[in-house]
Amino acid sequence: MGGKVTCTLGEIKNRADFIIYWGGNPAECHPRHFTKYTLMQKSKFLPRGRKDRTMVLVDIRETKSVRAADIFLQVRPGKDFELLTILRALIKGQKVADEQIETTGLTRETLEDLVLRMKSAKFGAMFFGMGLSMTRGKHMNSAALLTLAAEMNAFTKFVAMPMRGHGNVTGADVVMRWQTGYPFGITYNRGYPRYNPGEFSTVDLLVRGDTDCAFIIGADPGATMPRPAIDHLARIPTIVLDPHVTHTSRLAKVHITTAPAGIAAPGTGYRMDEIPLPLRPAISSPYPSDEEVVRRINAAIDEHPDWRHAQPQMLTNQL
Amino acid sequence: MDLKIVENATCTFCGCVCDDIRLHTDGQRIHRADKACVLGKAWFLNHTGEKKYPAAIIDGQEASLDDAIRVAAEELCRADMPLVYGMSNTTCEAQKECVSMADRLGGVVDSHTSL
Repeated sequence: MGGKVTCTLGEIKNRADFIIYWGGNPAECHPRHFTKYTLMQKSKFLPRGRKDRTMVLVDIRETKSVRAADIFLQVRPGKDFELLTILRALIKGQKVADEQIETTGLTRETLEDLVLRMKSAKFGAMFFGMGLSMTRGKHMNSAALLTLAAEMNAFTKFVAMPMRGHGNVTGADVVMRWQTGYPFGITYNRGYPRYNPGEFSTVDLLVRGDTDCAFIIGADPGATMPRPAIDHLARIPTIVLDPHVTHTSRLAKVHITTAPAGIAAPGTGYRMDEIPLPLRPAISSPYPSDEEVVRRINAAIDEHPDWRHAQPQMLTNQL
Repeated sequence: MDLKIVENATCTFCGCVCDDIRLHTDGQRIHRADKACVLGKAWFLNHTGEKKYPAAIIDGQEASLDDAIRVAAEELCRADMPLVYGMSNTTCEAQKECVSMADRLGGVVDSHTSL
Protein backbone atom coordinates (compact mmCIF):
# COMPACT_ATOMS: atom_id res chain seq x y z
CA MET A 1 0.00 0.00 0.00
CA GLY A 2 2.62 2.45 -1.03
CA GLY A 3 1.40 6.03 -1.06
CA LYS A 4 -1.30 5.38 1.50
CA VAL A 5 -2.58 8.67 2.94
CA THR A 6 -2.53 8.00 6.65
CA CYS A 7 -1.41 9.23 10.04
CA THR A 8 -1.03 7.97 13.60
CA LEU A 9 -3.91 7.26 15.95
CA GLY A 10 -2.58 10.07 18.16
CA GLU A 11 -3.32 12.60 15.41
CA ILE A 12 -6.80 11.15 14.95
CA LYS A 13 -7.41 11.32 18.70
CA ASN A 14 -6.44 14.98 18.75
CA ARG A 15 -7.81 16.26 15.44
CA ALA A 16 -10.29 14.01 13.59
CA ASP A 17 -13.77 15.57 13.70
CA PHE A 18 -15.21 13.24 11.06
CA ILE A 19 -14.74 9.48 11.30
CA ILE A 20 -15.95 6.77 8.94
CA TYR A 21 -15.78 3.07 9.81
CA TRP A 22 -16.29 0.93 6.73
CA GLY A 23 -16.95 -2.82 6.90
CA GLY A 24 -15.89 -3.27 10.49
CA ASN A 25 -17.38 -3.77 13.93
CA PRO A 26 -15.00 -1.99 16.31
CA ALA A 27 -17.46 -2.15 19.23
CA GLU A 28 -16.90 -5.89 19.36
CA CYS A 29 -13.58 -6.46 17.58
CA HIS A 30 -11.52 -3.44 18.73
CA PRO A 31 -13.43 -2.49 21.92
CA ARG A 32 -11.12 0.34 23.00
CA HIS A 33 -10.78 1.99 19.59
CA PHE A 34 -13.65 4.43 20.22
CA THR A 35 -12.64 5.38 23.73
CA LYS A 36 -8.88 5.51 23.30
CA TYR A 37 -8.40 6.94 19.83
CA THR A 38 -11.36 8.04 17.79
CA LEU A 39 -14.59 9.15 19.46
CA MET A 40 -14.50 9.83 23.17
CA GLN A 41 -11.20 11.62 23.73
CA LYS A 42 -11.20 15.39 24.32
CA SER A 43 -8.33 17.45 22.94
CA LYS A 44 -7.18 21.02 22.31
CA PHE A 45 -8.86 20.95 18.89
CA LEU A 46 -11.93 18.98 19.95
CA PRO A 47 -12.60 20.25 23.49
CA ARG A 48 -16.05 18.67 23.73
CA GLY A 49 -14.82 15.23 22.71
CA ARG A 50 -17.61 13.09 21.29
CA LYS A 51 -19.87 16.13 20.70
CA ASP A 52 -17.27 17.65 18.38
CA ARG A 53 -17.03 14.53 16.24
CA THR A 54 -19.30 12.89 13.68
CA MET A 55 -19.15 9.15 13.20
CA VAL A 56 -20.44 7.34 10.12
CA LEU A 57 -20.66 3.56 9.92
CA VAL A 58 -20.88 1.78 6.57
CA ASP A 59 -21.71 -1.91 6.75
CA ILE A 60 -23.96 -4.51 5.19
CA ARG A 61 -25.84 -5.18 8.45
CA GLU A 62 -26.55 -3.59 11.81
CA THR A 63 -23.88 -4.50 14.34
CA LYS A 64 -23.26 -3.36 17.90
CA SER A 65 -21.16 -0.50 16.48
CA VAL A 66 -24.33 1.13 15.07
CA ARG A 67 -25.20 2.40 18.55
CA ALA A 68 -22.00 4.47 18.60
CA ALA A 69 -22.62 5.94 15.13
CA ASP A 70 -24.34 9.22 14.20
CA ILE A 71 -25.11 7.98 10.71
CA PHE A 72 -25.42 4.36 9.59
CA LEU A 73 -25.30 3.55 5.88
CA GLN A 74 -26.42 0.03 5.06
CA VAL A 75 -24.73 -0.85 1.79
CA ARG A 76 -25.97 -3.80 -0.25
CA PRO A 77 -23.59 -6.80 0.17
CA GLY A 78 -20.84 -6.86 -2.44
CA LYS A 79 -21.50 -3.26 -3.53
CA ASP A 80 -18.73 -1.53 -1.57
CA PHE A 81 -16.57 -0.90 -4.63
CA GLU A 82 -19.53 0.61 -6.50
CA LEU A 83 -20.38 2.85 -3.54
CA LEU A 84 -16.77 4.02 -3.18
CA THR A 85 -16.54 4.74 -6.90
CA ILE A 86 -19.83 6.69 -6.80
CA LEU A 87 -18.53 8.73 -3.84
CA ARG A 88 -15.31 9.44 -5.74
CA ALA A 89 -17.41 10.76 -8.63
CA LEU A 90 -19.77 12.76 -6.40
CA ILE A 91 -17.01 14.59 -4.53
CA LYS A 92 -15.73 15.85 -7.88
CA GLY A 93 -19.21 16.88 -9.01
CA GLN A 94 -19.34 14.27 -11.78
CA LYS A 95 -22.69 12.92 -12.98
CA VAL A 96 -23.93 9.66 -11.47
CA ALA A 97 -27.09 8.00 -12.77
CA ASP A 98 -29.92 7.18 -10.38
CA GLU A 99 -29.89 3.49 -11.29
CA GLN A 100 -26.17 3.32 -10.41
CA ILE A 101 -26.87 4.75 -6.95
CA GLU A 102 -29.82 2.36 -6.59
CA THR A 103 -27.58 -0.71 -6.93
CA THR A 104 -25.76 0.23 -3.71
CA GLY A 105 -29.01 0.19 -1.69
CA LEU A 106 -28.65 3.88 -0.74
CA THR A 107 -30.33 7.06 -1.94
CA ARG A 108 -28.91 10.13 -3.69
CA GLU A 109 -29.96 12.36 -0.75
CA THR A 110 -28.00 10.21 1.72
CA LEU A 111 -24.88 10.21 -0.42
CA GLU A 112 -25.04 13.96 -1.16
CA ASP A 113 -25.43 14.61 2.55
CA LEU A 114 -22.42 12.37 3.24
CA VAL A 115 -20.29 14.12 0.63
CA LEU A 116 -21.23 17.53 2.10
CA ARG A 117 -20.26 16.35 5.59
CA MET A 118 -17.00 14.87 4.33
CA LYS A 119 -16.05 18.10 2.58
CA SER A 120 -16.97 20.33 5.51
CA ALA A 121 -14.93 18.28 7.99
CA LYS A 122 -11.66 19.76 9.25
CA PHE A 123 -9.96 16.39 9.52
CA GLY A 124 -11.57 13.22 8.19
CA ALA A 125 -10.45 9.69 8.96
CA MET A 126 -11.61 6.47 7.31
CA PHE A 127 -11.07 3.09 8.96
CA PHE A 128 -11.76 -0.02 6.94
CA GLY A 129 -12.18 -3.56 8.17
CA MET A 130 -12.35 -7.03 6.73
CA GLY A 131 -15.96 -6.44 5.67
CA LEU A 132 -14.42 -4.30 2.93
CA SER A 133 -11.05 -5.91 2.26
CA MET A 134 -12.09 -9.57 2.41
CA THR A 135 -15.35 -9.51 0.45
CA ARG A 136 -16.06 -9.32 -3.28
CA GLY A 137 -13.46 -7.04 -4.83
CA LYS A 138 -10.94 -7.64 -2.01
CA HIS A 139 -7.83 -5.45 -2.40
CA MET A 140 -9.54 -3.45 -5.16
CA ASN A 141 -12.04 -2.31 -2.49
CA SER A 142 -9.20 -1.22 -0.21
CA ALA A 143 -7.54 0.55 -3.14
CA ALA A 144 -10.80 2.39 -3.96
CA LEU A 145 -11.18 3.55 -0.36
CA LEU A 146 -7.54 4.67 -0.13
CA THR A 147 -7.97 6.56 -3.42
CA LEU A 148 -11.13 8.23 -2.11
CA ALA A 149 -9.21 9.35 1.00
CA ALA A 150 -6.35 10.66 -1.14
CA GLU A 151 -8.73 12.51 -3.48
CA MET A 152 -10.61 14.06 -0.54
CA ASN A 153 -7.41 15.98 0.19
CA ALA A 154 -8.30 18.31 -2.69
CA PHE A 155 -11.03 19.63 -0.34
CA THR A 156 -9.92 18.96 3.22
CA LYS A 157 -7.51 16.86 5.28
CA PHE A 158 -8.47 13.19 4.98
CA VAL A 159 -6.70 9.98 5.96
CA ALA A 160 -7.38 6.23 5.80
CA MET A 161 -6.22 3.32 7.90
CA PRO A 162 -6.96 -0.41 7.90
CA MET A 163 -8.40 -1.86 11.12
CA ARG A 164 -5.88 -4.61 11.74
CA GLY A 165 -6.75 -7.60 13.86
CA HIS A 166 -4.45 -10.36 15.07
CA GLY A 167 -2.02 -8.49 17.27
CA ASN A 168 1.19 -7.98 15.39
CA VAL A 169 0.05 -8.54 11.79
CA THR A 170 1.04 -4.91 11.15
CA GLY A 171 4.54 -5.80 12.38
CA ALA A 172 4.69 -8.62 9.83
CA ASP A 173 3.90 -6.13 7.04
CA VAL A 174 6.47 -3.67 8.32
CA VAL A 175 9.22 -6.28 8.77
CA MET A 176 8.62 -7.78 5.32
CA ARG A 177 8.64 -4.31 3.74
CA TRP A 178 11.88 -3.52 5.53
CA GLN A 179 13.56 -6.81 4.60
CA THR A 180 12.20 -7.39 1.08
CA GLY A 181 10.55 -4.17 -0.11
CA TYR A 182 7.13 -5.87 -0.26
CA PRO A 183 4.45 -6.30 2.43
CA PHE A 184 3.28 -9.95 1.92
CA GLY A 185 2.99 -12.70 -0.70
CA ILE A 186 6.73 -12.80 -1.46
CA THR A 187 8.81 -15.54 -3.04
CA TYR A 188 12.57 -15.99 -3.00
CA ASN A 189 12.55 -18.87 -5.47
CA ARG A 190 14.76 -16.99 -7.91
CA GLY A 191 17.10 -15.93 -5.11
CA TYR A 192 15.70 -12.40 -4.86
CA PRO A 193 12.29 -11.25 -3.55
CA ARG A 194 9.35 -11.10 -5.94
CA TYR A 195 5.83 -10.01 -5.00
CA ASN A 196 2.59 -11.21 -6.52
CA PRO A 197 -0.53 -11.64 -4.39
CA GLY A 198 -2.77 -14.27 -5.94
CA GLU A 199 0.29 -16.22 -7.07
CA PHE A 200 2.40 -16.20 -3.88
CA SER A 201 -0.37 -15.69 -1.32
CA THR A 202 -0.87 -18.61 1.01
CA VAL A 203 -4.46 -19.63 0.30
CA ASP A 204 -3.81 -19.69 -3.45
CA LEU A 205 -0.54 -21.62 -3.05
CA LEU A 206 -2.22 -24.22 -0.83
CA VAL A 207 -5.41 -24.58 -2.88
CA ARG A 208 -3.35 -25.11 -6.06
CA GLY A 209 -1.03 -27.46 -4.16
CA ASP A 210 2.09 -25.52 -5.21
CA THR A 211 3.97 -25.70 -1.96
CA ASP A 212 5.58 -28.90 -0.65
CA CYS A 213 6.39 -27.87 2.94
CA ALA A 214 4.85 -25.28 5.25
CA PHE A 215 6.26 -23.49 8.27
CA ILE A 216 3.44 -21.92 10.28
CA ILE A 217 4.15 -19.48 13.11
CA GLY A 218 1.72 -17.43 15.20
CA ALA A 219 -1.29 -18.48 13.12
CA ASP A 220 -3.85 -21.27 12.95
CA PRO A 221 -4.76 -21.74 9.29
CA GLY A 222 -6.18 -25.17 10.17
CA ALA A 223 -9.06 -23.34 11.86
CA THR A 224 -9.59 -20.47 9.44
CA MET A 225 -8.67 -21.43 5.88
CA PRO A 226 -10.89 -23.00 3.23
CA ARG A 227 -11.10 -26.81 3.23
CA PRO A 228 -8.90 -27.51 0.16
CA ALA A 229 -6.10 -25.38 1.69
CA ILE A 230 -6.29 -27.29 4.99
CA ASP A 231 -6.31 -30.60 3.13
CA HIS A 232 -3.08 -29.64 1.39
CA LEU A 233 -1.47 -28.63 4.71
CA ALA A 234 -2.27 -32.12 5.98
CA ARG A 235 -0.75 -33.73 2.85
CA ILE A 236 2.62 -31.95 3.04
CA PRO A 237 5.06 -31.83 5.99
CA THR A 238 3.83 -28.91 8.07
CA ILE A 239 5.81 -27.40 10.93
CA VAL A 240 3.93 -25.35 13.55
CA LEU A 241 5.26 -22.99 16.22
CA ASP A 242 2.54 -22.05 18.71
CA PRO A 243 2.00 -21.61 22.46
CA HIS A 244 -0.94 -24.03 22.18
CA VAL A 245 -1.55 -27.28 20.33
CA THR A 246 -3.82 -25.85 17.62
CA HIS A 247 -5.97 -27.30 14.83
CA THR A 248 -2.97 -26.86 12.55
CA SER A 249 -0.69 -28.65 15.05
CA ARG A 250 -2.96 -31.70 14.88
CA LEU A 251 -2.45 -32.09 11.16
CA ALA A 252 1.21 -31.09 11.24
CA LYS A 253 4.31 -33.27 11.13
CA VAL A 254 6.15 -31.16 13.69
CA HIS A 255 4.72 -28.99 16.46
CA ILE A 256 6.99 -26.92 18.71
CA THR A 257 5.51 -25.22 21.78
CA THR A 258 6.76 -21.67 22.28
CA ALA A 259 6.26 -18.94 24.87
CA PRO A 260 3.33 -16.61 24.07
CA ALA A 261 4.61 -13.27 22.72
CA GLY A 262 3.85 -10.28 24.92
CA ILE A 263 2.79 -12.49 27.83
CA ALA A 264 5.87 -14.62 28.44
CA ALA A 265 8.22 -13.59 25.61
CA PRO A 266 9.62 -10.07 25.16
CA GLY A 267 9.98 -8.22 21.87
CA THR A 268 8.33 -5.54 19.75
CA GLY A 269 4.79 -5.29 18.40
CA TYR A 270 3.31 -2.83 15.92
CA ARG A 271 0.04 -1.00 16.46
CA MET A 272 -2.33 -0.69 13.47
CA ASP A 273 -0.96 2.81 12.72
CA GLU A 274 2.57 1.34 12.43
CA ILE A 275 3.84 2.56 15.76
CA PRO A 276 6.25 0.04 17.33
CA LEU A 277 5.61 -0.72 21.00
CA PRO A 278 7.74 -2.76 23.41
CA LEU A 279 6.08 -5.85 24.87
CA ARG A 280 6.33 -6.33 28.63
CA PRO A 281 6.02 -10.02 29.51
CA ALA A 282 4.42 -10.63 32.92
CA ILE A 283 4.95 -14.38 33.37
CA SER A 284 7.82 -16.78 32.80
CA SER A 285 7.29 -19.69 30.46
CA PRO A 286 8.96 -23.12 30.44
CA TYR A 287 9.04 -22.86 26.63
CA PRO A 288 11.54 -20.98 24.44
CA SER A 289 10.48 -17.86 22.52
CA ASP A 290 9.53 -17.96 18.81
CA GLU A 291 12.61 -15.89 18.04
CA GLU A 292 14.94 -18.41 19.68
CA VAL A 293 13.36 -21.42 17.96
CA VAL A 294 13.35 -19.84 14.48
CA ARG A 295 16.95 -18.74 15.00
CA ARG A 296 17.92 -22.32 15.91
CA ILE A 297 16.05 -23.76 12.90
CA ASN A 298 17.86 -21.24 10.68
CA ALA A 299 21.19 -22.37 12.16
CA ALA A 300 20.23 -26.00 11.42
CA ILE A 301 19.25 -25.03 7.85
CA ASP A 302 22.68 -23.46 7.40
CA GLU A 303 24.27 -26.84 8.07
CA HIS A 304 22.59 -28.19 4.93
CA PRO A 305 24.10 -27.27 1.55
CA ASP A 306 22.86 -23.93 0.20
CA TRP A 307 20.21 -24.51 -2.48
CA ARG A 308 21.59 -21.73 -4.68
CA HIS A 309 24.86 -23.62 -5.09
CA ALA A 310 23.30 -27.05 -4.85
CA GLN A 311 20.97 -26.58 -7.79
CA PRO A 312 23.47 -26.03 -10.63
CA GLN A 313 25.44 -28.99 -9.32
CA MET A 314 22.34 -31.14 -9.45
CA LEU A 315 21.83 -30.09 -13.06
CA THR A 316 25.41 -30.97 -13.98
CA ASN A 317 25.07 -34.34 -12.31
CA GLN A 318 21.98 -35.07 -14.38
CA LEU A 319 23.75 -34.08 -17.59
CA MET B 1 0.91 -15.45 47.27
CA ASP B 2 3.34 -12.82 46.07
CA LEU B 3 1.71 -10.60 43.48
CA LYS B 4 3.80 -8.41 41.22
CA ILE B 5 2.33 -5.52 39.25
CA VAL B 6 3.47 -4.85 35.69
CA GLU B 7 2.63 -1.27 34.69
CA ASN B 8 2.01 -0.22 31.08
CA ALA B 9 1.97 -3.75 29.75
CA THR B 10 1.19 -4.17 26.05
CA CYS B 11 -1.78 -6.23 24.88
CA THR B 12 -1.23 -7.92 21.52
CA PHE B 13 -4.65 -9.44 21.07
CA CYS B 14 -5.96 -7.02 18.44
CA GLY B 15 -4.47 -4.31 16.24
CA CYS B 16 -5.07 -1.59 18.86
CA VAL B 17 -2.02 -2.89 20.79
CA CYS B 18 -3.05 -0.99 23.96
CA ASP B 19 0.06 -0.22 25.98
CA ASP B 20 -1.51 1.02 29.21
CA ILE B 21 -2.55 -2.29 30.79
CA ARG B 22 -1.82 -2.95 34.45
CA LEU B 23 -1.17 -6.64 35.06
CA HIS B 24 -1.27 -8.40 38.44
CA THR B 25 0.85 -11.53 38.22
CA ASP B 26 2.40 -14.18 40.44
CA GLY B 27 4.92 -15.13 37.76
CA GLN B 28 2.91 -18.20 36.71
CA ARG B 29 -0.47 -16.70 35.91
CA ILE B 30 -1.96 -13.25 35.35
CA HIS B 31 -4.78 -12.63 37.83
CA ARG B 32 -5.96 -9.18 36.83
CA ALA B 33 -5.61 -7.06 33.72
CA ASP B 34 -6.78 -3.54 34.60
CA LYS B 35 -7.86 -1.24 31.75
CA ALA B 36 -7.95 -4.16 29.29
CA CYS B 37 -11.17 -4.75 27.33
CA VAL B 38 -13.11 -8.05 27.38
CA LEU B 39 -10.95 -9.48 24.62
CA GLY B 40 -7.73 -8.33 26.28
CA LYS B 41 -8.73 -9.75 29.67
CA ALA B 42 -9.48 -13.14 28.11
CA TRP B 43 -6.15 -13.00 26.28
CA PHE B 44 -4.07 -12.24 29.37
CA LEU B 45 -5.91 -14.49 31.80
CA ASN B 46 -5.94 -17.54 29.53
CA HIS B 47 -2.16 -17.99 29.37
CA THR B 48 -0.17 -19.62 32.14
CA GLY B 49 3.45 -20.40 32.89
CA GLU B 50 2.56 -24.06 33.42
CA LYS B 51 3.90 -26.81 31.23
CA LYS B 52 0.60 -27.80 29.63
CA TYR B 53 1.92 -29.24 26.38
CA PRO B 54 4.99 -31.30 25.44
CA ALA B 55 8.02 -29.27 24.29
CA ALA B 56 7.49 -30.65 20.80
CA ILE B 57 5.43 -33.20 18.88
CA ILE B 58 6.68 -35.11 15.84
CA ASP B 59 4.16 -37.26 13.91
CA GLY B 60 1.82 -37.23 16.90
CA GLN B 61 4.52 -38.43 19.33
CA GLU B 62 6.06 -36.33 22.10
CA ALA B 63 9.60 -35.31 21.17
CA SER B 64 12.45 -33.15 22.36
CA LEU B 65 13.00 -29.61 21.11
CA ASP B 66 16.37 -30.55 19.59
CA ASP B 67 14.83 -33.38 17.54
CA ALA B 68 11.97 -31.15 16.40
CA ILE B 69 14.38 -28.45 15.24
CA ARG B 70 16.45 -31.03 13.36
CA VAL B 71 13.42 -32.60 11.64
CA ALA B 72 11.98 -29.16 10.82
CA ALA B 73 15.24 -28.06 9.17
CA GLU B 74 15.46 -31.34 7.21
CA GLU B 75 11.91 -31.04 5.89
CA LEU B 76 12.38 -27.38 4.97
CA CYS B 77 15.64 -28.06 3.14
CA ARG B 78 14.20 -31.04 1.26
CA ALA B 79 11.26 -29.01 -0.09
CA ASP B 80 11.31 -27.37 -3.52
CA MET B 81 8.90 -24.61 -2.55
CA PRO B 82 8.67 -24.20 1.21
CA LEU B 83 6.17 -21.70 2.61
CA VAL B 84 6.69 -19.54 5.69
CA TYR B 85 3.30 -18.30 6.82
CA GLY B 86 1.55 -16.51 9.68
CA MET B 87 3.68 -14.24 11.88
CA SER B 88 0.68 -12.50 13.45
CA ASN B 89 0.91 -13.56 17.07
CA THR B 90 4.64 -13.17 17.35
CA THR B 91 7.27 -10.49 17.81
CA CYS B 92 9.00 -8.45 15.13
CA GLU B 93 12.28 -10.06 16.16
CA ALA B 94 10.86 -13.50 15.31
CA GLN B 95 9.29 -12.13 12.10
CA LYS B 96 12.69 -10.95 10.93
CA GLU B 97 14.09 -14.45 11.50
CA CYS B 98 11.16 -15.88 9.49
CA VAL B 99 11.91 -13.64 6.49
CA SER B 100 15.53 -14.69 6.82
CA MET B 101 14.41 -18.35 6.77
CA ALA B 102 12.48 -17.86 3.51
CA ASP B 103 15.55 -16.14 2.04
CA ARG B 104 17.82 -19.03 3.04
CA LEU B 105 15.42 -21.61 1.62
CA GLY B 106 14.39 -19.79 -1.54
CA GLY B 107 10.83 -20.11 -0.33
CA VAL B 108 7.66 -18.08 0.00
CA VAL B 109 6.94 -15.77 2.93
CA ASP B 110 3.43 -14.52 3.58
CA SER B 111 1.28 -13.18 6.42
CA HIS B 112 -2.38 -13.00 7.42
CA THR B 113 -2.67 -9.85 5.33
CA SER B 114 -3.04 -11.91 2.16
CA LEU B 115 -6.05 -13.92 3.35
